Amino acid sequence: MKETLLLTKHMRENPEDSHSLKSYEKNGGYESVKKVLKSGTPEEVLQEIKDSNIRGRGGAGFPTGVKWGFLAEDEERYLVINGDESEPGTFKDRILLERDPHQLIEGMIITCFAANISKAFIYIRGEYAKPARRVQSAIEEAYEKGYLGKNIFGSSMNLDIVVHLGAGAYICGEETALLNSLEGRRGEPRLKPPFFPAVKGLYNKPTLVNNVETISSVPWIMSNSGKDYSSLGVEGSTGTRIFSLSGHINNPGNYEIEMGSSFGEFVDTLGKGVKNKAIKAYIPGGASAPWLRGDQLDVKMTIDDVANEGSMLGSGAVVMMDEDTNLVLAAKSLVSFFAHESCGQCTPCREGTTWLENILERVASGRGRLSDIDLLLDVCDNISPGLTWPPKMTTICPLGPSATASIVSLMKDFRSEVEVLLPKKVVIG
Amino acid sequence: MNEKVTFTVDGKQLEGKQGQLLIEACEDSGIHIPRFCWHKRLDPVGMCRMCLVEIDTPRGKALVPSCTTQVSEELIVETESDTVKKAQEGVLEFLLINHPLDCPICDKAGECPLQDQTMAYGPGESRFIEEKRHFEKPIPVSDIVLLDRERCILCARCTRFSDEISGDPLIEFIQRGNKTQVNTFPDEPFKSYFSGNTVQICPVGALTATSYRFKARPWDLKKVSSTCNCCSLGCSVELNVSQNKMLRILGEDNEFTNQGWLSDKGRYNFEYLHSENRLLNIHSRENEDYQTINISDAIEKIKDKIKDLDNPEIKFIVGANSTNEEYFAINKFANSLNRNEFLSKDKSNVYFADDHIHNGYFSEEYTNATFEDLDNSDAIVVWAEDIKDNLPVLFLRIKKAVKNGVKLVVFGHTNTALESLADLYLGAEIVSNNFELKTSLSNIQELKNIIDSKKVTTIIGKSTPLQKKDSLDTLINHLQKVSDLKIFNCFSKANTFGAIQHIDQIKGLNEFCTEYENSNKNIVFTIGANPVNSSFFGSKIKDILEDTDYVISLDIFKNETTELADLILPTTAFGEKEGTITNMEMRVMKQNKILPDPGSTLSEWEYLIMIAQSLGKDINYDSVNELNSELASQFTKTEALPTFDNLNKPSNLFGILNQKEINLNIKDIDQDSPSLLMVKRLYGDSSTQINSPSISMLGSERFIELSEFTLDKYGIESNVATLTQGSSSIFVNIKLNNLLPDNLVLAPINRRGFEKLDSTKDFDLKETKNMKDLSVN
Repeated sequence: MKETLLLTKHMRENPEDSHSLKSYEKNGGYESVKKVLKSGTPEEVLQEIKDSNIRGRGGAGFPTGVKWGFLAEDEERYLVINGDESEPGTFKDRILLERDPHQLIEGMIITCFAANISKAFIYIRGEYAKPARRVQSAIEEAYEKGYLGKNIFGSSMNLDIVVHLGAGAYICGEETALLNSLEGRRGEPRLKPPFFPAVKGLYNKPTLVNNVETISSVPWIMSNSGKDYSSLGVEGSTGTRIFSLSGHINNPGNYEIEMGSSFGEFVDTLGKGVKNKAIKAYIPGGASAPWLRGDQLDVKMTIDDVANEGSMLGSGAVVMMDEDTNLVLAAKSLVSFFAHESCGQCTPCREGTTWLENILERVASGRGRLSDIDLLLDVCDNISPGLTWPPKMTTICPLGPSATASIVSLMKDFRSEVEVLLPKKVVIG
Repeated sequence: MNEKVTFTVDGKQLEGKQGQLLIEACEDSGIHIPRFCWHKRLDPVGMCRMCLVEIDTPRGKALVPSCTTQVSEELIVETESDTVKKAQEGVLEFLLINHPLDCPICDKAGECPLQDQTMAYGPGESRFIEEKRHFEKPIPVSDIVLLDRERCILCARCTRFSDEISGDPLIEFIQRGNKTQVNTFPDEPFKSYFSGNTVQICPVGALTATSYRFKARPWDLKKVSSTCNCCSLGCSVELNVSQNKMLRILGEDNEFTNQGWLSDKGRYNFEYLHSENRLLNIHSRENEDYQTINISDAIEKIKDKIKDLDNPEIKFIVGANSTNEEYFAINKFANSLNRNEFLSKDKSNVYFADDHIHNGYFSEEYTNATFEDLDNSDAIVVWAEDIKDNLPVLFLRIKKAVKNGVKLVVFGHTNTALESLADLYLGAEIVSNNFELKTSLSNIQELKNIIDSKKVTTIIGKSTPLQKKDSLDTLINHLQKVSDLKIFNCFSKANTFGAIQHIDQIKGLNEFCTEYENSNKNIVFTIGANPVNSSFFGSKIKDILEDTDYVISLDIFKNETTELADLILPTTAFGEKEGTITNMEMRVMKQNKILPDPGSTLSEWEYLIMIAQSLGKDINYDSVNELNSELASQFTKTEALPTFDNLNKPSNLFGILNQKEINLNIKDIDQDSPSLLMVKRLYGDSSTQINSPSISMLGSERFIELSEFTLDKYGIESNVATLTQGSSSIFVNIKLNNLLPDNLVLAPINRRGFEKLDSTKDFDLKETKNMKDLSVN
């Protein structure tokens, strides 16, 4: 299998200076937006996006065109780019921010044109210092050229973009927590309803919140067409996606491919296989996603196929775990992450994730009790009733339920690895 | 919002209002859903997850918090399904895993929602064998409130209260996840006039107050409802007593007045009742010393004195803490002493000890406001003494109204605390340092936009004793003309409205000083009043009382006024007497007795009736009930007479509005406002506060407020200065307040250290050299 380069073509071909305006324009950058501003209408842009069938690349996979259609009427509306990429295993937005910031800016201008927005924000995770610097200088370049600010490209459109850095909280990737953080409040997810920031978002105004990769795809869609985009990939998962491949893999990295091939093919060809070992389990879509087994590598890499297996394609982070992996420790490591990142609002998540972490710690170090398997599953059940995926929740956001995913996978498919750590049942008499 | 909707809970059809929260709608129909973070007076946050219920959604059943879900037509809800019960057990187990379970030593045990709901909905046992979360316990977050973070269940009630309700968000969550904790900001204590409310609404024993810690168990408390007497708002309270000691005052949720909240003054100002400094015996001055005498000797003494002095003029200075029944008795007695002679000469013989009293706006042409009107108005217009310091819970009501979209206009420069809430703040540019309007009100366009043809509620009173009533008349006339106006006459002291309703032709201390004649033989009664300390006329009154032939003081503590008395009669105080009071809406409310009379104290009315009878007057009352039923019968325009019987009925628990006629004839004080403006602060040197150890240190800070301009004028660069007047000088902290007009220095009147200041005399302010870091207390 081969990569299909739409978003990463420019950066691959110009590794030295793909982040510069010069390089971007030399390779046809900003042509798409110029065309749209000159002869397009917002309705046409929206139609192209709908035609492309692109689904959000942040993790939830919500159809982008539908989301844009929800945007409520108001004098003031905002676009917020979610660049808080914090899902363990995910590092695709990083290259888009760091190595092709103008592609994102162009996508944002087109989006704002389509949605009649004149103020946009890019929220970047605090640890992405270099990508943030690159984006900031790209914005400055764009302002200088008159691509941002007032009457951009000589049109009647105005657009200002503000870069905002997070302060190290995973939860700020959840769009409503992100908005709180952007407003200067504690990064805590907001109550639902309202279900969509498109109705009531930043500063209580209608707000589009889109992922970096989603908006970076917009220039390609507009310079080609929505139909062209939807002809790539498969139905329900059109276009290309940048998958971040990591774990016990020979050739880890970001790969832009059309959706639809199997994980096995992806791992064997582009990933060049796992280091002479069999795969015991893998995470198909980021730390929140339930694991799939090594014998499930023929699952197709589409949103719906992975969902049918009880997991999710999520943020496109594929993590391989070979046959030597201690899955109890792997689960503990993941649960520790969620416990550390819980915002603390909801009781089940705040108390439950740390409790799960403590129990796993005990089990992994040989201090487990026979009752611990039932206890782990029941604590998980109290955070995510029914232990299904997509999860039911006793919490405001899915962070707590995400912490249960790895435990449920462990107990469902690899229970013996836990049982062996627990004391033997002794029958007396 | 008021549209009715029908929905189903546990198979039963219920009715609710469109948009109402499910938890509330269920409560109205008698279905209790357990909760910790939800509080009816706070915005919902849906954090504790205790109130989860199952609803039918297009995608199947889902668990949702009932505190954030609005009822809607055909909503189907399960509150007792297995899924709900499991979720409730789960949440309680989660809440308890890190809770210390130190109930045996926790003040909350016995009235603890966590304890109660664990019993009702909890799993019964814990599966948690790990080490619990530890914090230093407890930490003081202010002088009067302590925080035990181990007990805290992070419901955000306290943080929401301080943010949404009182507007001083000094406690917040810090850290996140499992480490989340409530705390203050570094070097910024939780210094709020309302901090005690957080202790009351805390659903566990995390927040405790110094005054109550380890003093009692809830099941040992005797409780009675009553009405606070710290200001004229009429907050409903519950008095908690154990072994004849008042241990705690809680706010009751009176929809009409305080809506559950209390100021810290109202909540913690009670320890004085049991102070060793209380006056418990009758003291009679013999030569220079006081002797303790018994009641019959005391009455005899008064009778003899009146006889010896041969028809003396007898005058009364009354304070604001008496009940309506006591004022009624004072009026009866004063009337029996040839009162008509005074009244015919346009004089009085009863004077009220608050310099802010003025004629007000009580006549037929004005409409009296109720607190409900604040919420229902388009705009609130305030020109009065400092609301936050003098009627603290009214500040909360104003803040609530503003939050709900009511516009606020503030006049003058004594209400700078309201500035941040105000849509229009008309300070120094419109109001002169002498509290006169500088511009015609009809010329102010922004004011026009807010009030013209709108429903307006005004809170109007003298900003300082020296403000002229003309200026208030101008505002009222304007508002009457352009808007649909309702009026609050802003007299802030406790039962002022009771005094002016029940005492004919009551006057102020200004009149006392002018109507007092040295050439006469004089007897002055001071009743629950300390005019020597707390009045603009303090030094004049001191001179007068020194001249008076016989001074009789009825009070609960010795003070600057009783020092001048020849006979001191100890009286009963709040909680020791039964009676009614009238709040600033003209709502008659009940004060109840729960403590025995200490020592040989008697009620004010008991002394007065005894004295009257010894003088052969035909005034006969055997009980406060008799006084009450007679005074109640004088109310005409009221739905129910404010008798004890009526007020004790559950339907009237929170008071009965009345409209007894009020006629006052009080003149302005003939003096311009000086550049040293002395205003009353919530805390200060009142004998009740000083004798309540838990709060005695509040209000000990000496500070003055002034603008940057004035600061420059005096050449002060540090934050400490020396205020000099004549031979006395005091160190003061400087608080910058740029809302104050130029050349004006604002100082608290009721503070230790400031009592010697005379605002009308010249003063000087100098920087205190080399004392930049001095913290003056």
